[in-house]
Amino acid sequence: MNSSKTATLFAMAILAASASAQTTAPTDPQIAAIVVTANQVDIDAGKLAQGKAASKGVKDFAKLMITDHTAVNKSATELVHKLKVTPEDNPTSQSLKHGGDENIANLKKLKGSAFDRAYVDHEVAYHQAVLDALDKTLIPNAKNEELKALMVKVRPAFVAHLEHAKSMQASMGK
Amino acid sequence: MTLLLSRRSVAALALCGIAVFVGSSAAFAQSHTVSIEGMSFSPATLHVKRGDMVMWVNKDLVPHTVTASDKSFDSRNIPAGGSWSRTATRKGTTAYVCAYHPTMKGTLIVD
Repeated sequence: MNSSKTATLFAMAILAASASAQTTAPTDPQIAAIVVTANQVDIDAGKLAQGKAASKGVKDFAKLMITDHTAVNKSATELVHKLKVTPEDNPTSQSLKHGGDENIANLKKLKGSAFDRAYVDHEVAYHQAVLDALDKTLIPNAKNEELKALMVKVRPAFVAHLEHAKSMQASMGK
Repeated sequence: MTLLLSRRSVAALALCGIAVFVGSSAAFAQSHTVSIEGMSFSPATLHVKRGDMVMWVNKDLVPHTVTASDKSFDSRNIPAGGSWSRTATRKGTTAYVCAYHPTMKGTLIVD
């Protein structure tokens, strides 16, 4: 199916990006850019889904993604200002942005339950990929303790979102 | 709304250390706190006595709610850094969730 194929490709892209970032550990300014981009990508997808989703459950989830990821980005932006770190674009943040743009382009072609399924499939892949990046690359490599602490603090939200998306995915069936 | 406001003011009194008399039982109310942190309620199960005050404090960066599964209470939106209190008025066990995040579950047991 097209939607799940796109979701899988996206997951592979971010995993590949974080794996390559691992060989040259990202700096704090790069990590800051990855965190902000990761949240922004999901806010953008949520804004599209809030308007286009067919079911109330998916619409509510999209609204939650906008609320939660906006809150996380507000804290991240405040911390970045406080630490006087300028987020620096890098292969992982670019891959995230690119994956997010592709997802939106794909979702725009879909309607009704096909849209809901593709959005939710992508949300599962996205949250899993971001969690992997947090655990394997971002948290271990953060030099600044406050930056590290922020990522540790927001991690449970990504876990909750992943479980939430998986349970919607399961209720949609195959 | 009036009910919610009165609950909040009762919570404020309890916080000031003033003993609160509830109903005709005239028992000294105890205050309890449930932390909402890391997308979970802690403690997840809380035992209280009727008339006790329970305050939920949101220590996460995202908003949450405290919503009884049987709809007997609902905090509505608790913003990051915010809190919500209520007096335990009814004996029994009530399961509650965050209405936003269904993976977040808690239980309030009133003896």
